[in-house]
Amino acid sequence: MTYAAAAAVLPRSRSSHRVASVVAALLASLFLLFLFAPIVRLVVSGGAGGVTRLFTDSELRGALWLTAVTATSATLLGVLGGTPLAYLLARRAFRGRAVVAALIDLPLLIPHPVAGIALLLVLGRESAVGSALLQAGIRVAGSPVGIVCAMLFVSAPLYVSAAREAFARVDPRYEAVGRTLGDPAWRVFRRVTLPLSLRGLIAAGVVMWARAVSEFGAIVILTYNPKVVSVLSYDRFTGFGLHEALPVAAALTILALIPLTLLRALRPESGAGVAP
Amino acid sequence: MIGPAGSGKTTLLETIAGIIPQRSGILRLMGRDMASVPPERRQIGFVYQRGYLFPHLSVEENVGYGAADQSFVRELSERLGVTALLQREVRGLSGGEQQLVAIARALAARPRILLLDEPFSALDPRRRSRVRRTVRALHGELGMTVLQVTHDFAEAGLLGDIAILLDAGRVLQSGPPEQIFRHPASAYIAEFLGAENVFAGEVRVLREPGRETAREAADGGVVYHRPGAGAPDSDAARIDDRAEAIADGHHAVEFRTGPLTFYAVGGADSGPGHAVIRAGEILLSREPQHSSARNNFRGTVSEVATTGALAHVTVEVSGVPIVAALTTRSADELSLSPGTAVYVSFKAMAVHLC
Repeated sequence: MTYAAAAAVLPRSRSSHRVASVVAALLASLFLLFLFAPIVRLVVSGGAGGVTRLFTDSELRGALWLTAVTATSATLLGVLGGTPLAYLLARRAFRGRAVVAALIDLPLLIPHPVAGIALLLVLGRESAVGSALLQAGIRVAGSPVGIVCAMLFVSAPLYVSAAREAFARVDPRYEAVGRTLGDPAWRVFRRVTLPLSLRGLIAAGVVMWARAVSEFGAIVILTYNPKVVSVLSYDRFTGFGLHEALPVAAALTILALIPLTLLRALRPESGAGVAP
Repeated sequence: MIGPAGSGKTTLLETIAGIIPQRSGILRLMGRDMASVPPERRQIGFVYQRGYLFPHLSVEENVGYGAADQSFVRELSERLGVTALLQREVRGLSGGEQQLVAIARALAARPRILLLDEPFSALDPRRRSRVRRTVRALHGELGMTVLQVTHDFAEAGLLGDIAILLDAGRVLQSGPPEQIFRHPASAYIAEFLGAENVFAGEVRVLREPGRETAREAADGGVVYHRPGAGAPDSDAARIDDRAEAIADGHHAVEFRTGPLTFYAVGGADSGPGHAVIRAGEILLSREPQHSSARNNFRGTVSEVATTGALAHVTVEVSGVPIVAALTTRSADELSLSPGTAVYVSFKAMAVHLC
């Protein structure tokens, strides 16, 4: 192409590029507006009332406390049971691995009330497990135990898949080197794999915790009372209307900033635990 | 252990270390079958090419990871020249420094066998020779076997008692490096080891074996092949170098490759084969060589490639390129440049047939 021809073509292609950028920016802005406008509107109209309610509304404080305790318990159980599974899925080639990996994600696709119904079938008073637990003095449905079960069921898959990715990011050759330096597999896991994947695992735990905190559909089937915050805000809305639900909703939105900030801080560093 | 990329070198090391389970065969270390022994109980040190230092530990913690005694850690650090790095973060190290620390880390655990996967590749030449010497010395002091993967045959020759050539998961040839270098088992090996002159052609046994041929050849005649010339005038081979008696079972042979025919010493079989001549065995001169019976040819220089003290000169003889290695100084003295007419000669004994 001659210089003159290039000069004739270049401005046009540059201007078409500019048009594309403007269109992309416009679409992105509209999308962000859609995502944030309701939240901003909620906090603006209910924020002040919400903060006040945090101090005055004892039912709200009780619900917050209950939510924190159950979500944390569910997360700890998820970490306990999910970490070995995530490691196996990341490292070992075993028969049926693909099936297990697919099944793990299944709870993410089930509508949450359906998950609640499924849990009720297994853990409810009528079920074998539920009645056996009741005999032992543990009530599942209608108790914090039910809340934990519902939270665990719907949020553990998020932990397992995020933890599996965290393990997969650790080059297995680090573990191989640890083994040749005299450590059995479990000690290599503790001295090498765990430190190298820790940030990713904590981030996975935070994601699970956040999902547990925001769960509604499965919990409401299993345990309406005592109320977690999601059930409480729903209860206020249906029982007392938007005016009463607004400050509760605003307070919860403001509190949601805490795990969000935590998650940002834990975002895995680029290159951490990856081959040099 | 030498072999092209993808020949299975790393896989073999990982299998020996127990990192990859062996699918078949028997792996014995110190006479003991290792099939069911986990890597941590094999006492095998492993150094990957890229070091794989633990990024969450300091350099000192890395070196001490598998070490039982700290004084040995300090001694090793000193000898490998990594003492100054001990307080540093792994992330800040250069590739060469990481390799050094990885070697120190593996040695600090006092392995009985050390597996090195191209461990010196990122080191500058000065450090490389120092570390080679240290590893070589520790090999003796600690009584440990070292199995090292390298691309560099010179390095294998320098460090190794035994060289193993691997290709596509199979051992092509193994033995003392010098022997492999002089007598590659195939043309492929010869080329892989960097032999400059590898010719495909036809071997023909010239005479009955033994002394007679050698004695007969001792008349000192000179055989010339000018471009376009065919085979030598008679079967009475004028084998060079009366001093080099042909050993029993070896025969004076003739080797034809395209328009070129030269003399060599080989087995009793005629037929297709390869001839390998190291560039260092080829002599160049501006005047015909009358002193002894050699393979003598006249040709034209087509290329002169100089790297440091060595010059590789390619001479076309009847269209066949023959590469000679000589010192840059000799090349200058001969004032060789493309187009120069030169005489090429080499001993029959310098031709390796395979």
